[in-house]
Amino acid sequence: MRAVQILVDGFAISSLYGLAAVGFTLIFGVSGVLNLAHGGIMVVAALVGWAAAAEFGFGTYAGTGLGILAGLATAYATYLIVVRPIQRSRAIRPEETEIFVLTGTLLWGIMIQVGMAYLFSDNPVTIRPLVAGVVNILGVRTPANEILIAVIAWSLIGLLWLLVNRTRTGKALLGASMNPRGVTLLGYELTRIYFVAWTIYGLLAGIAGVLLASFLGVSTANTGQLTASAFSIVVLGGLGSVSGSLIAAYVVGYLETMTAYLVAPTLRPIPSLILLVLVIYVRPQGLLGRR
Amino acid sequence: MAILRSRVLWIGAAVVVIAALLPFWLSAYLLGVLTAAYYFGVFAMAWDLLFGFAGEVNFGPTFLIGLGAYTAAILNSEFGLPIPVCVVAGAIAAVLGGILLAVPALRLRGPYFGLVTLVAVLLLQNFIVIFAGVTGGEIGMTVPDVLSIDEKVNYWYALVFLTICAVLLYGLSRSTVGLILQASGQDAVEASALGFNVTKHKIAAFCISALFSGTAGAMLIFYMGTASINTVIDLAIAVQIIIAAVLGGRRTILGAALGAVFLIVANEFLRPLGQLNTFVVSAVALAVILFFPEGLLGYALHRGERE
Amino acid sequence: MPIQTEARRGLLAGAVCAVGLLPFSAFAQSGDTIKIGVIGEESAVAGASITKAAVMAADEINANGGVNGRKIEIITYDNHSSAADAVRAFQRAVSQDKVVAVIGSYISEVVLAIEPWSARLHMPFITPGAASNLISKAVHDDYDHYKYTFHGWLTSAFIAQAVCDYTKDEFVGLRHMTTAVVMSEDAAWTKPLDEAYLECLPKIGLKVLDHIRFNPDTSDFTPIFHQIEDAHPDVIVTGISHVGVQPTVQWHDQQVPIPMIGQSSQATTSTFWKDTNGASEGVITDTAAAPGVALTPTTVPFVTEYEKKFGVTPSYTGYATFDMVHVIAEAIERAGGATDPDKLVTALEATDHLGTMGRIQFYGRDNQFTHAMKYGPGLVTTIAIQWQDGKQICVWPHDKANGEITFPSFIKLHASAN
Repeated sequence: MRAVQILVDGFAISSLYGLAAVGFTLIFGVSGVLNLAHGGIMVVAALVGWAAAAEFGFGTYAGTGLGILAGLATAYATYLIVVRPIQRSRAIRPEETEIFVLTGTLLWGIMIQVGMAYLFSDNPVTIRPLVAGVVNILGVRTPANEILIAVIAWSLIGLLWLLVNRTRTGKALLGASMNPRGVTLLGYELTRIYFVAWTIYGLLAGIAGVLLASFLGVSTANTGQLTASAFSIVVLGGLGSVSGSLIAAYVVGYLETMTAYLVAPTLRPIPSLILLVLVIYVRPQGLLGRR
Repeated sequence: MAILRSRVLWIGAAVVVIAALLPFWLSAYLLGVLTAAYYFGVFAMAWDLLFGFAGEVNFGPTFLIGLGAYTAAILNSEFGLPIPVCVVAGAIAAVLGGILLAVPALRLRGPYFGLVTLVAVLLLQNFIVIFAGVTGGEIGMTVPDVLSIDEKVNYWYALVFLTICAVLLYGLSRSTVGLILQASGQDAVEASALGFNVTKHKIAAFCISALFSGTAGAMLIFYMGTASINTVIDLAIAVQIIIAAVLGGRRTILGAALGAVFLIVANEFLRPLGQLNTFVVSAVALAVILFFPEGLLGYALHRGERE
Repeated sequence: MPIQTEARRGLLAGAVCAVGLLPFSAFAQSGDTIKIGVIGEESAVAGASITKAAVMAADEINANGGVNGRKIEIITYDNHSSAADAVRAFQRAVSQDKVVAVIGSYISEVVLAIEPWSARLHMPFITPGAASNLISKAVHDDYDHYKYTFHGWLTSAFIAQAVCDYTKDEFVGLRHMTTAVVMSEDAAWTKPLDEAYLECLPKIGLKVLDHIRFNPDTSDFTPIFHQIEDAHPDVIVTGISHVGVQPTVQWHDQQVPIPMIGQSSQATTSTFWKDTNGASEGVITDTAAAPGVALTPTTVPFVTEYEKKFGVTPSYTGYATFDMVHVIAEAIERAGGATDPDKLVTALEATDHLGTMGRIQFYGRDNQFTHAMKYGPGLVTTIAIQWQDGKQICVWPHDKANGEITFPSFIKLHASAN
């Protein structure tokens, strides 16, 4: 009985973690950027989604859509306002660019958090579930929304896989992550590739944000935690490895769920943190890391 | 070289004397702001030593600061140990933490190092939240002892502390050890080719940075009478420290202290904006990164050179 | 040449700074207003009411002639839910803004951080919403130092008593419940609250099957609700303040068939209904007062005015702050216009004020909760409200109730019978 509970609960949360982490690792893989404003993008999507649905009365579906678009817009803003100018700046030495990008995205993330808190306060908001009601899975009463979330998450991951492996754009993305120069030699414009990468990232993070809002609720206070969670998972799985991130997301999700059920809810984040420390000490490149 | 040093010495001495006289003129509240700013200055200088000289971007200076601060706070609160003992204990804890962090972290390259330092901060943060019974969790804890209730006395404590740290850190940066560190930071391969043990020096830099950060963190706690995540551990604080150092000009040590004071005072002036003052400060910092990556002091120094 | 330019630049910068710092110089002007500092958590649902209610109270007092002809000026501070920020704000209020008293914060950890400073700086300090027993215990244990602190809301022990009282009437008496699970956040105010729950619940006939304390950082309450359900209690007794939206929404979405009652600070204001998209239907919580409930002649006018001005109903801290400003004003009058801290403290101890929450008096040195607000019929009992259809319906005490308790369809009473 408890085992089934753990299985079901862990699945939904892991899928959401996975969705968020995949986007994070994709952006790192393709453009070498560790976006520390990641949590900010998710939070914007969630808050705008809630505002559109509840405050402005657009209803749940339209609200969710608007939230995702807001997330996408924030991702673009992150790239155009922060990342690209730093990468192109001549005043910064090339070996320091990464550090400046990191600091820049960190600052941008804080700006988003504070700006959103000013507009929305730091109280958590929730988006009404996309489907209401509960379903009985092997004796465990589960909100239907949770199942929908897992389905959506996996469909998106599947779509991503198709994109990367079956389409030209996707293969160009993959190529850019391995050898940007080489890809330009083949006639692809890097700008367009980066644009595609950030679009995918923005959509993934935005969707993860609104789904999280409908599942558990989101507040601006979560911003840092969401970024931290995403890159913990990505470090565990290996920076730049999509499959690594997915596996790590499930490992972390289930570790947390099992701890919450079998040990104590208070100690929930500990095992994954300990695992993270072990991985950093023993195998810093993560499970399936390349770079 | 000699002329440079004496110019800095004279200007520095003048600044310290003026600063020491401020309590006779400024209100108690602004003295308090400057006091906090001075401790912040030590945080920023310690960071600059690590980054500017060892070339390592530490995203989690607050890991070291937090260790020092909370160790001191808990020892004082739970066991009633006197302040000097707690501060020393805090410093030791920070140094130990620094070694623990440095040993694995220095084996990594590029973004991994920065990430590990970030993870260290998160770990400490989570640790504090989980053991909220002892640490006060997110909201914070109180310590029964404070350095002083008089704002003037607190101010002078902080000023003296800042001056001592500035002299020590600046002296270190200009010494042989400092030059070796700088070489290791700019080009580790060449430095080791020249026979210097790069790793050993970097770990030493970590420990020195930790020592100053931890001590300053502990002192800050006994000034404020409270310890909380969002004053000594939160990532926002780490970012402010980095901004202060970058704003002031990296690799100048003293610039970091100036940057810190400027930042904290600016925050105060922006107080009427309420919640948005963090937003404005971050935005300004972002602008500085985009347009003046050398920092204000760095800029001033370079312009001075060109004239 | 470079030395001269640099020196000139330095001097100019110094001069600018000096001029800029002038307003902060020690030569501050003093007006003829009575300044009261109010420290609130602006971005927290429960804390945002504090500053608003204070300003309303000051306006009302000033419109009626002020205090001995002098006007009250409210100076507000936002502490961002942080103890350190709150201490700094307190220090600023005392030394820079020269206030005569400070009202502040509903978070116990924050109040406990300010309390030693109120002792060190001899500044009367009242909290309009924190609950920890330690606040008033400190006053009892070291009266000479801590006498400046007053507790303007029920201490945790009495909140638990209030919850037990209404649970006894409604759930044990009327609905014959026999078992309960206590679920509260791990925070300073819930330690004494839970201790009191564990003591008074068995006394009214409810066996406590489990006691869950969760991290205030928790966002996923699924394991907790599953754990509770597995124990099959008749009712969940809560102690939540830092969280509110998430556990409530998840309780609703997961259709946990057990009623949630107790103390949920966020559920005391109307924004809660919107934030939870109506998932708070059926939730019962203890609170100071509610719209439409005439606890005293001033209750309803206050709520109406507040809602008109700010578009939302006040949280429980709003009622308390409004009353505390009046309490301070009355104390100053009682002291003959004096704002000397020790005289003010003596005057505050003699408080007997009919506010929006009820009749306010403070316990004295003979009680273990010195300077805490007195609890009991005829004084302040708080009320229990239940969210029904977007409205807060008062369900206890019976003489003030304006509705009956009803539960959403997914609640199955007497789960223990299953």
